[in-house]
Amino acid sequence: MMSLLAPLFLLGVAAIALPFWLHRLQTESSDRRPFSSAMLLERAEQRVHVQKKLKYLLLLALRVLLLLLLALAFAQPFLRLPADVVEATDAGTHLVLVDTSASMARVGTFSQARETVRDALDRAPADALLQLATVDRTFRVVGELGNDRSRLLADAASLDPSRARLDYGAGMTAVERFVAALPPPVTLHFVSDFQASGMPVRFADLVPAGVERFVPHVVGTGEPFNWYAEYARDSAAGIQFGINGAGDRERLGDAELYLNGSLIATHGLSQTGPQVLDFARPEYEPGENRVELRIVADDDFAADNRWFHVVDNKPPTPIPLITLDTGGLPMTYLSAALESAAEYRVEPLIAGNFDPRILSRYRWAVVDDIGLLDGGLDAALSDYLSVGGNLLAFAGERAAGLETLPLAGNRRGASGLGLPPGEFLSIGRIESTHPALARSEGWQSVSVSRYLPLLPEAGDRVLIALQNGDPFLIERQVGQGRLLLVAAHLDNRWSDLPARPVFVSFVIEAARYLAGINEIDRTYLAGSSLPLAVAGYTSGQVVDPEGNTLLSLADTTREQQINLDIPGFYEVYTPQGQTVVAANIDPRESDLTRIGQDVLDRWQDATASQPAVTSAAFSMEQERSLELWHWLLLLLAVVVIGESILGNMHLKPRVERA
Amino acid sequence: MAPTQVSQRNARELLRPEVLASLKNLDLVARSVVEGVLIGLHRSPMFGFSQEFAEYRAYSEGDDPRFIDWNVYARTGRTYIKRFLGDTNSHLMILLDASASMGFGGPPVSKLRYAQFLAASLAFLAARQHDAVGCMVFDEEVRDYREPSTRSGKLQGVLHCLDSATAATGTRFEKPFDKFRETMARRGLVAVISDFYCDIDDLLAGVRPLAWHGQDVVLFQVLDKEELAPSFQSNVLLEDLETGEAVEVEPEYMRERYPERIRQHIDRLAKAAAGIGADHVLVDTSDSLDGALRNYLLFRQRRQ
Repeated sequence: MMSLLAPLFLLGVAAIALPFWLHRLQTESSDRRPFSSAMLLERAEQRVHVQKKLKYLLLLALRVLLLLLLALAFAQPFLRLPADVVEATDAGTHLVLVDTSASMARVGTFSQARETVRDALDRAPADALLQLATVDRTFRVVGELGNDRSRLLADAASLDPSRARLDYGAGMTAVERFVAALPPPVTLHFVSDFQASGMPVRFADLVPAGVERFVPHVVGTGEPFNWYAEYARDSAAGIQFGINGAGDRERLGDAELYLNGSLIATHGLSQTGPQVLDFARPEYEPGENRVELRIVADDDFAADNRWFHVVDNKPPTPIPLITLDTGGLPMTYLSAALESAAEYRVEPLIAGNFDPRILSRYRWAVVDDIGLLDGGLDAALSDYLSVGGNLLAFAGERAAGLETLPLAGNRRGASGLGLPPGEFLSIGRIESTHPALARSEGWQSVSVSRYLPLLPEAGDRVLIALQNGDPFLIERQVGQGRLLLVAAHLDNRWSDLPARPVFVSFVIEAARYLAGINEIDRTYLAGSSLPLAVAGYTSGQVVDPEGNTLLSLADTTREQQINLDIPGFYEVYTPQGQTVVAANIDPRESDLTRIGQDVLDRWQDATASQPAVTSAAFSMEQERSLELWHWLLLLLAVVVIGESILGNMHLKPRVERA
Repeated sequence: MAPTQVSQRNARELLRPEVLASLKNLDLVARSVVEGVLIGLHRSPMFGFSQEFAEYRAYSEGDDPRFIDWNVYARTGRTYIKRFLGDTNSHLMILLDASASMGFGGPPVSKLRYAQFLAASLAFLAARQHDAVGCMVFDEEVRDYREPSTRSGKLQGVLHCLDSATAATGTRFEKPFDKFRETMARRGLVAVISDFYCDIDDLLAGVRPLAWHGQDVVLFQVLDKEELAPSFQSNVLLEDLETGEAVEVEPEYMRERYPERIRQHIDRLAKAAAGIGADHVLVDTSDSLDGALRNYLLFRQRRQ
């Protein structure tokens, strides 16, 4: 039975009216007139007319067919076919699962895995159904369920390890979902290096329901010798790498530091085990720098000998602070918080002593006390907000003396300004999904002893409320800009917020939010996803470490999750600009220590002790569907060629006579 | 001379097809045409056509008593008939093709209407000459027939027969010629008015026995200007009025090759007519009628 995935496209069939209309015009284009006699007219012309008429009909038919096929192709028809009949046998199904995580790239391990797969397939009962699958970060089924061993062996020969990590718990959960559709009893052959670092938190996650027998095939045996990097940290003093070395060899190796592709320092590795390598701060170039640590050692697992890191060396962005006291506490707290990220620099502006037009240079500004805004500055900031500027404002002593706040227009509430000595209020409610608050934690520890009770105006969004329900942080859209208003001063006499770590993260996130920057993390693990959000009309483009663009032109307009499959530097182009991100192999994959035999035995025993699934319970319900659109496209191409040839033939006599 | 020139010019104006088309009465058309032609022929030495006296002939039974010269009878006591130049008491049989193809043409007049004018004028002129006039309207069949007669009332019958002809169906010359052969008693003039879209050999097969029988045959080939020099500007699908057959033609063909082909057809017809002693007169419906009538009179004079 044929069905359609997108039946709405069948409306395109209405387009066949177009060729009918065109052909009607064409056939009527020859004026029909009575004439006394045709006996002296060219008889050949009559034949041409008849042939033309036939050609017209054929051309019309081809054009109608072309449009029909086009509409059908877009409607994506498919045929529902009954599933291939797979007869359950007493031997059941043997699922051969191959670990393709990064650690399987250890020297000799994966070739051993292929041999093991061959061995497992050969040893399976002759009447057993066989299925091949791989698992790392994702579970993939290779080929179809059947008894064709040669095809399965060919499939196994084409497998390669990835750079992703495998968590055995997640892997077995995927297996559990898959085996539910397999004819029981299911025997699971798991070919893996069984890293201890891949073990889940709960042992129960290792036991997939529906598997009657679990057969572990351990590959990559032998004492490992492997060097690998675990992290990189850069600071004003220099750059630091955490590395680890397992095994014992006479000749160890060297660590080389590359900056933007050039070797700038070398460090000898004299002993195995965890250690920290410190390098002096290199001469970074302005902007983003690609820093790479290469461990030159003849170890078993070469893929993890490189660590990629991005250092952003752009000059700090100036943030104006409108204040009356450039040496006061607000300046101190704000500078400390913003400059901790090394991305921002606070630039004090004395209220009433600067030209408000300079605000147009900044994407956002801070006012340490909204009450200090007089008439002129109030109007200037109002204009600044309406054209897209953004403001983070605090309510200080000057605001406390006003019934209605300038700029915001909020009125004071009835409750008191200060709390009795020794009493304080905590934070009651936070909108943790708000971008300015999503990453900041620790608000519950903030104590507020003095605040300005404000009545929210229409359009105000209370992002943080105190225990008593009074607003503490209000957001308002003003024209094209945003105002974030804190109902307390940047002063530890009002609350301990400026002295709390949460203040730093809040100010940094608020800075990014108000500046409209959707920051992309700079460091990822290989096999993970890089989210690209749509901004404007495009999400961006990504170039992988080998120089390939990962998105087609059409995909650049959609929100994307980019899989960072290989380690290295990725260039990410977004509407906000160009960024480089680094992807590294998960250090847990580099730890080649195996699970103990006792754990493997328990894993086997736990699987075998599950209740057996009977053959009667099995039913293959999934239907196969055969998509027809590619056949339609092929037919469409033939029709297009036929239409072109016929159309050309139709035009030819006219051209000759012209 | 001046008044004569003016009257000749006025007469020619009256013979324009568009002027004649405004006259509903075929009798009036014929009268106007003949009078106009005769004014033009006034004392023309070329034709010698007039009512001038030629001779006396003894009255015999059957002669019209109107032509007895009573003065001679008073002087001599004998009845004599007065004879004039050109007065030969001939027969004129008009065969008018009313096939569908004759409906082509115009405005102002179709080929059939023009042919009706021509036939009526011939009939009127012949009657004025005291010739017996008959007519036959045909297409694939003989639609109407009036046998030749000199009686004055017969002319109205002939004109009515001609006037009531309408264009329909195809053309077959066998039927009218066979019918005419069956009824013809004496020699005379046979005027066949048609566009002659037919096989010339078939036409000759019908005309040849008449010529052998002593009939003087004149073929008036009536064609529209659009047939002689088509003016199509674009591709056109031409539908044969008789067969319904549609032929798509191009303006280049109609401008260049078609006029050549119809000229060849006309030449073949004229040559074939000459071969059997018949006359061929090409009549363009955009021209005035006097040309056709002059040809007829020339032919008649030559026959005498």
